[in-house]
Amino acid sequence: MSFTIPIGPYHPSLEEPFKLEVKCQGEIVQDATMHIKFNFRGVEWLAQRRNYSQAVALVERMCGICSNLHTLTFCRAVEQLAGLSVPTRAQYIRVIIAELERLTSHALWAGVAAEIIGFQTVFMTCLGLRERLMDILEIISGNRIHKGMNCIGGVNREISSPETVLDIVRWIRQQMEEKLIPIFATDRTIRVRCIGIGVLTKETAMDWGVVGPTARASGVSADIRRSAPYAAYDQLEFKVPVETSGDVFSRVVVRLLEMVESCRMIEQAFKQMPPGPIRGPKFVEVPSGETVVRSEAPRGEVFYYVASDGSDVPMRVKIRTPSLVNMPAVRLMVLGANLADVPLINASIDPCYSCTCK
Amino acid sequence: MDNGEEILAQLSPGKSWEKRSDGWWLETRDMDVEKMAHLMTEAKARLVTITAYEVSNGEFRIIYHWDLEGRMLNIIAMTCKKSIPSIAMIHPASDWIEREIHDYFAVQFTGRELPPLLLNPEDSPGIFLDHPRTEHEKGKGKEK
Repeated sequence: MSFTIPIGPYHPSLEEPFKLEVKCQGEIVQDATMHIKFNFRGVEWLAQRRNYSQAVALVERMCGICSNLHTLTFCRAVEQLAGLSVPTRAQYIRVIIAELERLTSHALWAGVAAEIIGFQTVFMTCLGLRERLMDILEIISGNRIHKGMNCIGGVNREISSPETVLDIVRWIRQQMEEKLIPIFATDRTIRVRCIGIGVLTKETAMDWGVVGPTARASGVSADIRRSAPYAAYDQLEFKVPVETSGDVFSRVVVRLLEMVESCRMIEQAFKQMPPGPIRGPKFVEVPSGETVVRSEAPRGEVFYYVASDGSDVPMRVKIRTPSLVNMPAVRLMVLGANLADVPLINASIDPCYSCTCK
Repeated sequence: MDNGEEILAQLSPGKSWEKRSDGWWLETRDMDVEKMAHLMTEAKARLVTITAYEVSNGEFRIIYHWDLEGRMLNIIAMTCKKSIPSIAMIHPASDWIEREIHDYFAVQFTGRELPPLLLNPEDSPGIFLDHPRTEHEKGKGKEK
């Protein structure tokens, strides 16, 4: 017997506005339709009515997790249009904050995945670890979410208490290597729930333009930090973890390994960061022109197109978030899957509804 | 840029990419976007996104942003009577992107069936056009 089950918009696995209608034959999914934008905010429209400094604050509200990446990408676009060079110290600070943000994002995701699997102990462990990261961000910026670190031409503040930050990062790396990675890699329940589930092949991932850890778990070795380095990424040594199975388990592995790499990058950045100024002139003139900029957010590539007519308000701001290109692939992942696996498959791409309802 | 030059030679003979700090740009008046999509798909390029940008005569610049082996190729086409051929059947990654542009600017992507709006299905396409920038909202010279 065939029937259609509406999941959402208040979702049983992720409490955010998104609706997935799955058509099932028995318990096997035969097709799925996705509905998004329940909470559309018109950020692009608003950004074209704010001056550049106001737009920085606006794009930070794109997302509650990768907020820093949005300001970083927008500031880079404006700097490119204005021909501004950013001080080296500021470039390193940008890397440190971006990688701390990646750690908080992946730790939250790992916790949510564990909760969906039904492993409450790991959920609490991940969230406990993330709490330490949020503490670091609060120490540095005064805020846990909207950190307000980036400004056009540099960063707004120094990293206070670098030793405290480094101590916590080292502790997190140790927790990852000694506790979380072994649990996720060896626990029977996790393996049964994740291995061979929600497969996305490399070919399909490329056809659908999937990005970030979701693409890298399908064997697509693409990372903007490596292919088009920005900030101080070209000065750091790091690996880009790639898995080839394309299932939920591969997405778990890629993100966990990325967390270790992020810790390594932060440690290197502190070691290599030179003294010096952290920002350029306070007000900048943005000449007419257009530019595109990409950054690697926790969920994948973020893209900004900014066009200027020479005034203090951008003519056009186009934002493409990773979730907008990753979410259509969920339909392909759930085809033929068991209904009970749908919430975990959906969560495995780490969808951001805030970024999607931009 | 070998691969890109080959694509360009087939796409727009006699033209050359404009190399900028943010990638390679190409603008031609009579761009065959379906041919472009076929060539890019064959070259294993990834469609990053499509940008629509209204120009003065009510038409739109449609910029196709591709990633070819890590390099950014930006190919600019123009709508004709606010229409442009869809590439969704050739390159599925453009599906939601074209739908989003249709929702915002009512640009018609021909040759495909447009499902209900990604936004509220009860809305009409072109929500950004319903609320153009007022004089007050436009920029006024240097930021102060």
